[in-house]
Amino acid sequence: MNLEEYKGVYVFAQQVDNKVDSIAYELLGKAKELAAPLNTQVTAVLIGSNVKNLCDSLAEYGADRIIVVDDPELKDYRTEPYAHALASVINEYKPEIMLVGATAIGRDLGPTVSARVATGLTADCTVLEIGDFPLVAIPGKESEQKHNQLLMTRPAFGGNTIATIACPNNRPQMATVRPGVMQKIDPIKGAKAEIIEFNPGFTPNNKYVTIKEVVKAVKDVADIMDAKVLVSGGRGVGSAENFKILEDLAEAVGGVVSCSRAVVDSGWKPKDLQVGQTGKTVRPNVYFAIGISGAIQHVAGMEESDVIIAINKDEDAPIFDVADYGVVGDLNKIVPQLTAAIKAEKAKKNN
Amino acid sequence: MDFSLSKEHEMARQLFKDFAEKEVKPLAQEIDEQHRFPRETVDKLAKYGFLGIPVPKEYGGQGCDIQTYVMCVEEMAKVCGTTSVIISAHTSLCVDPILTYGTEEQKKKYVPDLASGKKLGAFGLTEPGAGTDAQGQQTKAVLDGDEWVLNGSKCFITNGKEADVYIVIAVTGKVEKKGKMLKEISAFIVEKGTPGFTFGTKENKMGICGSSTYELIFTDCRIPKENLLGQQGKGFAIAMHTLDGGRIGIAAQALGLAEGALETTIEYVKERKQFGRSIAQFQNTQFVLADLATKVEAAKLLVYKAAAKKDEYRTNPKISYSVEAAQAKLMAAEVAMEVTTKCVQLHGGYGYIKEYGVERMMRDAKITEIYEGTSEVQRMVISGALLK
Repeated sequence: MNLEEYKGVYVFAQQVDNKVDSIAYELLGKAKELAAPLNTQVTAVLIGSNVKNLCDSLAEYGADRIIVVDDPELKDYRTEPYAHALASVINEYKPEIMLVGATAIGRDLGPTVSARVATGLTADCTVLEIGDFPLVAIPGKESEQKHNQLLMTRPAFGGNTIATIACPNNRPQMATVRPGVMQKIDPIKGAKAEIIEFNPGFTPNNKYVTIKEVVKAVKDVADIMDAKVLVSGGRGVGSAENFKILEDLAEAVGGVVSCSRAVVDSGWKPKDLQVGQTGKTVRPNVYFAIGISGAIQHVAGMEESDVIIAINKDEDAPIFDVADYGVVGDLNKIVPQLTAAIKAEKAKKNN
Repeated sequence: MDFSLSKEHEMARQLFKDFAEKEVKPLAQEIDEQHRFPRETVDKLAKYGFLGIPVPKEYGGQGCDIQTYVMCVEEMAKVCGTTSVIISAHTSLCVDPILTYGTEEQKKKYVPDLASGKKLGAFGLTEPGAGTDAQGQQTKAVLDGDEWVLNGSKCFITNGKEADVYIVIAVTGKVEKKGKMLKEISAFIVEKGTPGFTFGTKENKMGICGSSTYELIFTDCRIPKENLLGQQGKGFAIAMHTLDGGRIGIAAQALGLAEGALETTIEYVKERKQFGRSIAQFQNTQFVLADLATKVEAAKLLVYKAAAKKDEYRTNPKISYSVEAAQAKLMAAEVAMEVTTKCVQLHGGYGYIKEYGVERMMRDAKITEIYEGTSEVQRMVISGALLK
C-alpha cells in the first residue's frame, strides 16, 4: 500500500427515501475543517437510486466534489450492495480519510467496508483532528513520527474512558462519527460541486438481504430507561393537567416525560414513569428535573445522567447540588418559554 | 432504693391490662392485616383518659406521673404495637412540647382537647433528606405580615392524616455561628384543615401496620404568627428535647413487645408436646427463656429509671434525662428484637404463621430500633455524654 497515493477527505452522504440525513451535513462540516491543514478537497459519496437531485444541497453544505453511485439495486439500504458500492469507490479513488455517520446504517456499513479495503476503523468518534502520531516523538526514533494523521477520539467502556486512536499504516483512515457532535456549516447558496458518476456494476445475487417490509413505528409508551432525553416532573408541577407543559417540552426536545414518586402517589402519572430508588434508574444524555426538590431517594435514580437541568422555585432545593444547569423560578413561566425557544432554534436549523 | 411500684401504680397497671386484653387484643391481628388505623380504639382510649395521662389536671389531663404513662404504653404494646405507638406519638411528641414550650394561650387552646382525646396529635420533623441528620431540614417558614408561610414536606409521620394537631419543624432563616452560616430552625403548631396543608403518601410498612404513617405536604400553608412554638430559632433544641421524652415512650413500647412475646411463648411451650413431653421440659427452651426474661428485666429497669428521671425533671427543670432515655430505648429496642425473634423460633413453624401473633410482634419490634432516633443515634447520645 503506497500511502502517498491516497488523497482527500471523503464523506459517506447517507440518504434514506431520497432525503439526505442530517449526519451527512455534519460530516461535511467536519471534513472541511480536516481538509484545510491537509490542503485537499472534500468529496461526498452519494449512494442510492435516483438521488442525483440531492447533489446541490451537498454542495451547499461544503462538498467540493460528489461521487454518485446510482443504481436501482441501491434503492433501500442493504449491506451487500452498499458495501460493494462504497468499497469500489475507495479502491478506485483512494481517499485518505473516509468518514461515515454512526447511525444504524453507518455502523453496519463502516466495518464491512473497512474489512473489504483492509484498513482500520474507529467507531462512534466524538472528536476528530489532524495531528502527529505518536503525539510526542519517541527519543531516538524521531524520524518515525508521522505528521498529518487523523487522530480519532471516542469514548469507550460506556463513556468511562476516552481513547484517541490513529491508523498510521493503512489507508483510508476510516471513522464512524457520532451524530449531533459535529457542526454543519452555514449553507452557501448556489454552491456547485464537481459531480462524478461512478458505477461499479451490480449483479443481483443470493447473498443480498431481501427487504420484506419497512416499519416506521412510533412508540406510544416509551420506556424511560431507553430515552436519551427525559423531562421529569415532581410535585411542583401541581397537577396531572399541568404535565401538558412538560409534554410540550419533551416533544420539542425529542424526549420522554418521567416523574418523581410524589407524582405517582398523587395519581398524576403511572408507576412505570417513576424515577428513583423505588422506581427506575435512568441514565439519559439530558435530564430535566422540573419541580423536583431532589431528595436522595430521587437523585439516586438519575444522578448518572450526562447533563442535569433543574428548574425549581426554591433556590435551596437539593436538586441544585447535582444539577449542571439550574434555573430558580416558576416552572409555569420558564418551561413554556424554554419550549418556545427550543422550537425557534430548531426551525432556524432546519431552514 | 425501692424497686416496688406503689399501690396507685399497681392499680393503674391493672386498669391498662384489663383494657388491653378486652379492647385492644381482639383487634390486633385484624388491624395489622388490613393496615387499618383503629379509630374505634382511639375513641375508647380517649373515653378512659389514656390520651392525657401525664397531663396536669388544669389542662384537662389525668395529672399522673410519667411512670404511669410508661406503663400504659407498655401494657398496650404487650398485645398491640400499633395502639402503643398511637398513644406514645400523641402524648410524648405533641402534647409534651406544647406543655413544655407553649405559651399559656397555646396550652389553653390545644392541650385540653388533646388530653381528652377529642383531638389527636403528631410530630413532623423527618424529611426525605433529614432523618438522623435532623439539621438537614428543607421545609421553610417565612413570616409574611402576621402569618407564617410554610413550604416543604415531612415524611414518615406517625398519626399522619389521623391527627388534628401537628408540631412541625421548619427553617426560618440563617444564623451565623463561629463564622459558619447555619440554618435557623423553629417549631410551629399546625392544625389539620389549614389551607395548603395536605397529606401525600401513606407508607406501606413491615410492622406496626395499623399505625397511620403519612407524608405531610405544605404548599404556601399560612398559619397565624402566634402558632410559633417556643422561641424563634430554638426549634432544633425543642425537637431534640421532645425526642428525649419520646424515646422513653418507645422504650416502653419495645419493653411491652418483648414482654408480650415472652408471655405468649411461655404459655405455648408448656402446651406444645414433642418426643412425648412438653417442649418446656427441654433444657434449651428453659435456658433460652431464662436469658430472655433476664434481658427483659434489665430493659424494664432502665425504662422505669428513665421515667423516674423525667418525673424528677418535671419538678426540677435543671435535670437532664436524655442519656437515661437513650440508654432505655437502645437496650429495650435491641432486647425486643432479640426476644421476639427467639420467641418465633420457640414456636417453631407455628411462629411463622400469622394466626399465632408472635410473628407480628417480631415485625413490630424492628421499628423500635429505628424510629425516634436509630439505635446508632442513641449510641451517639450516650457516648457523647461519656466523652464530654
